[in-house]
Amino acid sequence: MAFDAIFEPIEIGKLTIRNRVVSTAHAEVHATDGGMTTERYVRYYEEKAKGGCGLCICGGSSVVSIDSPQGWWSSVNLSTDRIIPHFQNLADAVHKHGGKIMIQITHMGRRSRWDGFDWSTLVSPSGIREPVHRSTCKTIEEEEIWRIIGDFAQAARRAKEGGLDGVELSAVHQHLIDQFWSPRVNKREDEWGGSFEGRMKFGLEVLKAVRAEVGDDFCVGMRICGDEFHPDGLSHDDMKQIAAYYDATGQVDFFGVIGSGCDTHNTLANVIPNMSYPPEPFLHLAAGIKEVVTVPVIHAQNIKDPNQAQRILEGGYVDLVGMTRAHIADPHLIAKIKMGQIDQIKQCVGANYCIDRQYQGLDVLCIQNAATSREYMGLPHIIEKTEGAKRKVVVVGGGPGGMEAARVAAERGHDVTLFEAAEVLGGQITIAAQAPQRDQIAGITRWYQLELARLKVDLRLGTRADEATLLDLRPDIVVLATGGQPFLSQHPEWGYSENAEESLVVSTWDILSGKVAPGKNVLLYDAICEFSGVSAADFLADKGAKVEIVTDDIKPGAAVGGTTFPTYYRSLYEKEVIMSSDLMLHKVYREGDTLVAVLENEYTGALEERVVDQVVVENGVRPDEALYYALKEQSRNKGQVNLEALYAIQPQPSLSEEGEGFLLFRLGDCTAPRNTHAAIYDALRICKDF
Amino acid sequence: MLETLLPILIFTALALAVIGAVRRIRLWRQGRPSRVNLLKGLVALPRRYLVDLHHVVGRDKMISNTHVATAGGFVAAAALMILVHGLGIANPLLGGLLLLASASMFVGSLFVARRRINPPARLSKGPWMRLPKSLMAFSIGVFLITLPTVGLLPDSLIEGSGSWLLALVLAGVVAWGLGEMFFGMAWGGPMKHAFAGALHLAFHRRAERFSTKKGGAGRSTGLKALNLEDEAAPLGVEKPADFTWNQLLGFDACVQCGRCEAVCPAFAAGQPLNPKKLIQDMVVGMAGGSDATYAGSPYPGKPVGEHAGTPHGPIVALEGKALVDADTLWSCTTCRACVEECPMMIEHVDAIVDMRRHLTLERGKTPNKGAEVLDNLIATDNPGGFDPGSRLNWAADLNLPLMSDLKQVDVLLWLGDGAFDMRNQRTLRALVKVLRAAEVDFAVLGTEERDSGDVARRLGDEATFQSLAKRNIATLSQYRFLQIVTCDPHSFHVLGNEYGELGGHYDVRHHSTFIAELYDAGRLTFSPWKGGSVTYHDPCYLGRYNGEYDAPRNVLKALGIEVKEMERSGFRSRCCGGGGGAPITDIPGERRIPDMRMNDVKESGAELVAVGCPQCTAMLEGVVDASAEVRDIAELVADALVERPTDGASGRSRRPAATTSAEEVTV
Repeated sequence: MAFDAIFEPIEIGKLTIRNRVVSTAHAEVHATDGGMTTERYVRYYEEKAKGGCGLCICGGSSVVSIDSPQGWWSSVNLSTDRIIPHFQNLADAVHKHGGKIMIQITHMGRRSRWDGFDWSTLVSPSGIREPVHRSTCKTIEEEEIWRIIGDFAQAARRAKEGGLDGVELSAVHQHLIDQFWSPRVNKREDEWGGSFEGRMKFGLEVLKAVRAEVGDDFCVGMRICGDEFHPDGLSHDDMKQIAAYYDATGQVDFFGVIGSGCDTHNTLANVIPNMSYPPEPFLHLAAGIKEVVTVPVIHAQNIKDPNQAQRILEGGYVDLVGMTRAHIADPHLIAKIKMGQIDQIKQCVGANYCIDRQYQGLDVLCIQNAATSREYMGLPHIIEKTEGAKRKVVVVGGGPGGMEAARVAAERGHDVTLFEAAEVLGGQITIAAQAPQRDQIAGITRWYQLELARLKVDLRLGTRADEATLLDLRPDIVVLATGGQPFLSQHPEWGYSENAEESLVVSTWDILSGKVAPGKNVLLYDAICEFSGVSAADFLADKGAKVEIVTDDIKPGAAVGGTTFPTYYRSLYEKEVIMSSDLMLHKVYREGDTLVAVLENEYTGALEERVVDQVVVENGVRPDEALYYALKEQSRNKGQVNLEALYAIQPQPSLSEEGEGFLLFRLGDCTAPRNTHAAIYDALRICKDF
Repeated sequence: MLETLLPILIFTALALAVIGAVRRIRLWRQGRPSRVNLLKGLVALPRRYLVDLHHVVGRDKMISNTHVATAGGFVAAAALMILVHGLGIANPLLGGLLLLASASMFVGSLFVARRRINPPARLSKGPWMRLPKSLMAFSIGVFLITLPTVGLLPDSLIEGSGSWLLALVLAGVVAWGLGEMFFGMAWGGPMKHAFAGALHLAFHRRAERFSTKKGGAGRSTGLKALNLEDEAAPLGVEKPADFTWNQLLGFDACVQCGRCEAVCPAFAAGQPLNPKKLIQDMVVGMAGGSDATYAGSPYPGKPVGEHAGTPHGPIVALEGKALVDADTLWSCTTCRACVEECPMMIEHVDAIVDMRRHLTLERGKTPNKGAEVLDNLIATDNPGGFDPGSRLNWAADLNLPLMSDLKQVDVLLWLGDGAFDMRNQRTLRALVKVLRAAEVDFAVLGTEERDSGDVARRLGDEATFQSLAKRNIATLSQYRFLQIVTCDPHSFHVLGNEYGELGGHYDVRHHSTFIAELYDAGRLTFSPWKGGSVTYHDPCYLGRYNGEYDAPRNVLKALGIEVKEMERSGFRSRCCGGGGGAPITDIPGERRIPDMRMNDVKESGAELVAVGCPQCTAMLEGVVDASAEVRDIAELVADALVERPTDGASGRSRRPAATTSAEEVTV
């Protein structure tokens, strides 16, 4: 049995967990109605339990007190008894499938925002400002400390009464408990600070109060950090001392350990390691904590693969592995291991679309799995075969939207042909994967390749489909996902020409795909500020070019999420890439052997010039609409998507209408340039009813 | 002249036959003793012949009728001939009967001859090719010499002076016939099968395999225990003389029809085994000599003429070649297809396991993973070497009731070693779901359960088998239960048929049988089948070993499935290749047995093959690019379950139960 370590049950406190895989606490941003775990929330966790996950710890940063604002991240609100029946629904849904569920509870102290909802005055041991959220706070008073300790105990009671299996006290990510621990933030000289015991006191009183409230037969664990990575913060040795201290109370049933503090942008990126990190980069920290404690240790950070999980568990570094993003990408991960369908697991690629949405207060979604957290809408993780007629479905374009459309249509049992002009599948993913540290994004394509082969989709690679070829196949449905081309022609002053010899500018696609060799002295103008610009800059610098990345936005990479722009910045600064903002590309002209880029300051109108040998422009995608308009009038539905049905996740009405000819749908960037998730979501919701 | 010649010929032939018989019996008596009630056996002989043997032979109507005519004709003709021509009782009535008998024999022999024109590969050639001619010689000769007895031909035609030449020719023909029929029968000719075959039927080592007048079906498939306490007894069979005398007798009964060869999965896969050749090699060994005169299909890849043996020499050489190579013995899947087809009731599997016992127990030469598996069984009580404490890991979230807690239940659910296998865990989870849906009072032994000993026993490690069996029996003896239910036909067979000899007597049910009973009792409701076409693969240890062909089909029928039968199904089902430790000893061939079986599935046109055995599931699912899905019957049943509304829901607000899906069973 290759995965025996994963499938060995374990006792946590008095609770038996069926395997060693945990979906660790993360903010779902799904709780509604003032922080209640309503249907979307329940279905999201039910799917994981159904898929075999051993333990779900839900509700990252679920609040216990009313002065720890709940609304910013739609987190779960344990400050009211109103939550109890909702917990009962949640617990039933998970237990029904043999899973266990706990919730993380916390008071976030200064780590929040005050400028909304109840306009709370945030509290912190010494009133020191938190930089990531730009949040100022007051110095907490003794009365408030005891109130919050009582709130923790009441929150734990609510979890227990709701039938959950335990609570995890968050003492990580600079929440209130570890704000008290950290001498960076806790400058108090009273009994709640100063000495080691003083700094430990708040957490200890919380633990004692919670344990007194829930008794011995309810799981209580702590999530801690293994090293804050701040010179003046808590070191690994400090954390070992702290863990051993709490362990010695005999009141902690488990520790969840992660690496890195997170009260700067740069350390925050460590907490949810994106694709630029190696596998399990901070396992050693969790293993260090395991050395000094007597109870099970959970560790999550970049554990995505069953073999990796097995290796970690077999090595005995920790007792349980968190595979949280892995479950967001594929909640049926465990079932697929058990079914011997390892190749069918949709593996997390570390794009961090999920967490980067969360930091913006948006609901957690997966870049490559549009069904995740939409279970309540009826979007399926497992596509059922149609009971209707078998149709001939032709998909044009092998990017994410086209691949998803082909997969879903094939899972429905249809006869599917996919045309892709390039020799390989992937579309823009293939280009994106060329940048340094971004190669893992190609994992999205890898999964589709395996699935489309398994589903025996007729792949016509290296074949540009035209109208005649398509109609020869006598399709019942045509799905266009032909994407688009870099939009360099928007401003004639840029000197773009379709003739490569004459064109003064090239696109980031030209650079990343290797079509155009990098220059020596390059100006990269990025009007979009998504991944493509910083990726191309990183790529150019990596090849030895001197690069200046210029944007008219507030900063280069402004639209790249909070856990990913830091890893770009690390790389760009290290390679001495110059980052300039607030400048528009006014004009490009040739002067002898060189190019002159004229930049205009958005706020002063002042012009400045750069003399370079290559100008790269990132100005987004212009949809490729030619094939669509060639087919539109011939199609039965004139290419129209019924939006009411689409948004309600209902079948497109045109699918059930009788008639001659084919239906035409287009999705992804060939409609309007959006992103990978948008293309995949549209493909799933249109094609699931084919 | 004939009047003088015939008695001489007849009695000479009979005398020679008696001498030959004595010599032949002496060969058999080289074997070890075996307790057989000789008299009872002889009394039972006619019924065993006419009912049990005929049941097997009758599967081929043409050859059955041929044999009735030829053999019946011969037996009658031989007896009458002794009276009429030997003792000279020239009674026209006897003469008439003799004419009829010899005519019948002649007609039969015509069909025997026809079969020998372009004979199928399974039939041995050599002396067997002359048999129809000998039969004809005998029958024609006897017919002609008897014509005068009834006055249809004047005596003078043969007896008259001048017709001596004709008489001599006739005498010659008769002598040829007598030689083949009487002398050949006792001296090792093709007719030996009649002599040895009749005695083998009478003195068979498994008297219980024959039906009884009282309606006993007659089935005996459990291996016989080795007496490990008896220091004089060899540990298995090293040399031909280590077989019991009636096993040697059984080998001698072989008629070389090759029905075993035609159904042997190992032979078909090009592995070095041919059951017919193996039996013939034992015959060679019992008499001493080489296999050079063997005239049938060889072991694939092994030319005839290179092997030789003696009654007291080793069957498998320590080095080089002896009578049989070890890989021949390790190719067998113990599927019993050969035994099922053998018209002479020969027990090939017993013989193979006897010889394996020697190789494993005395020489420690279990090939490939065999030794590792046996070591695992000794150290961990399971063949995979898994932590014995992890047998219930797959059910951590099911809260299975334990026998150690309950002490007494209706059904003891025997998990088998599939409990360590992720694929079979799905079957087990499905089965648990079914038992719960039917509200069966059941419990498991959990970590108290050990491997049943099946694999150890088939690999020849009788000691480990008995150790496991005795400890399982001791565990089971602590608890009270009405029956044992298991999804593993190997456990089913061993617990039900092989523990008895060691003191464990249980009512064991395969899960398909149990589910069929639950359904018949109205305790299960199924939603209609929506899938594609389905075929059913009979596991050897459920079908041929235990005769359960109907229950799985009844369950499938209850699910609304119309089974598309494979050409080889039921008692003729082709083995998956997984039995007898064959995947462990893993003897290479030209093809893989499971590939051939999946091809059978493909030819049936089914999109799904239902199975009822963890081993079959593993083997069939291991086939690359298979055209059909493999599902255990328990899984199909669990998927189709319609949950009945339960009363007395608690006061808490509950969401409606989500529909249970296939993958839910798997997690």
